[in-house]
Amino acid sequence: MKKLLLFTKFIRLGDIFFIVLFTGLIIFIINRSWNMPVGQYLKIESNSKVTKVFSLNQTSNKKIFGLLGDSEINITEGKARFSKSPCTKKYCVHQGWINKVNQTIVCLPNQILISITDGNESYDSVNY
Amino acid sequence: MHFRNLIFFFFIFLTSCAEKDNIHQYKDYIFGTIVDIKIHGETEQKSKKIANLIFDDFQRLHNYLHPWKESLITEMNSTFLKEGEFFVDDDEIIRIIQQNKDLAESSNNYFNPAIGKLIELWGFHSENSNQSIPSSSKIDNFISDLPHMSNLTITNNTITSSNKNFQLDLGGYAKGYALDRAKVILENNNVHNALINIGGNIIAIGNRGKRNWIVGIQHPRKPSAVASINLLPGWSIGTSGDYQRYFMINKNRYSHLIDPNSGYPANNSQSVTILIPPSANSGVLSDVYSKPLFIAPKEIKIELAKKLLINFYMIILNDGQIMISDSMNESINWVDLKNEEIITVH
Amino acid sequence: MKAMTLSIIKITSDDHTVAKLAAIAIALSVIEFFLPSPIPGVKPGIANIIVLFTLYKFNFKTAAWVSLIRVFVSSVLIGTLMSPTFFLSLFGAISSLFLLFIFQKLPKKYFSIISLSIIAAFGHIAGQFFIARIWIIQHDSIFNLLPVFLISALIFGLLSAFITHTLLKY
Repeated sequence: MKKLLLFTKFIRLGDIFFIVLFTGLIIFIINRSWNMPVGQYLKIESNSKVTKVFSLNQTSNKKIFGLLGDSEINITEGKARFSKSPCTKKYCVHQGWINKVNQTIVCLPNQILISITDGNESYDSVNY
Repeated sequence: MHFRNLIFFFFIFLTSCAEKDNIHQYKDYIFGTIVDIKIHGETEQKSKKIANLIFDDFQRLHNYLHPWKESLITEMNSTFLKEGEFFVDDDEIIRIIQQNKDLAESSNNYFNPAIGKLIELWGFHSENSNQSIPSSSKIDNFISDLPHMSNLTITNNTITSSNKNFQLDLGGYAKGYALDRAKVILENNNVHNALINIGGNIIAIGNRGKRNWIVGIQHPRKPSAVASINLLPGWSIGTSGDYQRYFMINKNRYSHLIDPNSGYPANNSQSVTILIPPSANSGVLSDVYSKPLFIAPKEIKIELAKKLLINFYMIILNDGQIMISDSMNESINWVDLKNEEIITVH
Repeated sequence: MKAMTLSIIKITSDDHTVAKLAAIAIALSVIEFFLPSPIPGVKPGIANIIVLFTLYKFNFKTAAWVSLIRVFVSSVLIGTLMSPTFFLSLFGAISSLFLLFIFQKLPKKYFSIISLSIIAAFGHIAGQFFIARIWIIQHDSIFNLLPVFLISALIFGLLSAFITHTLLKY
């Protein structure tokens, strides 16, 4: 409590400006990613030129080749996750499942990124 | 002085954000379908100008080649009906007709643009779907004297038909032709990266920045993609499907892809997708050649693909099974499919 | 024979202080390395407290030294020198310093250490994302992960400001 009082003592006008500015920026960005519906597709991006898109309506394991080796990605019942990865920390695996549009997990050491998308973002155009 | 630095930095940040996704997209409704043009790596001003040039040319072709609305083709068709001679003073239609003759011949006439009258009989020459099954006598009459592209003779600038039933319908050709023309317009205007989609028939020019253009392939029975593919520079993709234009009667589907030999809509397949490598006619080939592969009987499809020099094809048969060439299988990314349903063709 | 003059580098107590500060910053960095993060390697930058402190107590140049020493030495200690993690850290530090340089002259009447701290924190995140985007994962999808980091930047910025202010009082 005392700390909070101390804080209000030295806060200035300009500080409020920056705090508001950055909070606004955060809200703006969150708005764009929150309230997202459950997604239909999983997009897998690595630094090879080929981007792969898979439907979340399937149960399968995908092996994706990255900088350090193969990462394995599970897709089942509308969600996806990293199940195996050659990185040391395995943060990507510990992130667990994702299923909402724009949700993203990255394995930086292996240079692989998976994200949930809806159809429109996945393709530049559709052939029919 | 520091304030100036700030402005400078901010400005750089903004402009770099703007340049990042440097794609301009334009849509129009031509050829009875949506035309979608995406141009990458050009200013808004230039992209708009080029897109309009392309739309203008497409509109010209729409008016020029329309199979049943007033056009040069309908004029020619009514002349043939009266067994007259049709005189043209421009080379373009002559070249188009000659090209169609060649395509029909190489496809063993499974691609047959001469059967406009039959297509009209099935009700596909109008925009409303009041279609019904034509009488079998009418169909039999028609196929007993089946018109072919070979019925046309071109002498100097005069075209005649030796078959009264001959009506040219370039519905299976015009979009592909338009793609090839768009390619030239882009080239002539120094636009190196674009994606043009005419009613599903797509050609890729260059790349999309750091990656290739990615195209989704529609599932014939679901509202989602069955697969996606990286469309490399200059390649085009075309699909003929029984879900594009059709009507249902008593749970039976009648699509606009009529088999010239039986006179009835071909129903051994749900869709055929082909990829054509870069060439002057790749647009045309991607449009035209999916038809014979769709219509031909299952037993001869593979042979026909070889004859037509099509290495990349995917045929979804009427029972859902997929016949796919090796090359196509390697290029494709399955979005929604179980592996057991696929037959790979070597 | 000419008298040999020895140049003596006088080590002042200020130098001691700077060295100590650098050491603390390094320690903080190493601790931070072991904390989990949605993008491995992208960190809020706890050592920013030390950099801010040095900026106010001494000057920008000294703060810059402390910051860069921290980046290099902590990465040697952790074993990530020249790895992607190192470059993330380096660019984070450089962007942060760059913004500090621009904004350090903000009039103290309107802007306190709070502003500088938040700006430095945001700069730190921005620099890391920039290098991650152009070098490590070259797809825009990586920006989906921005919100989490921006929030932590704001929180840590405020926290660092408060802690630094308290430290400066002593």
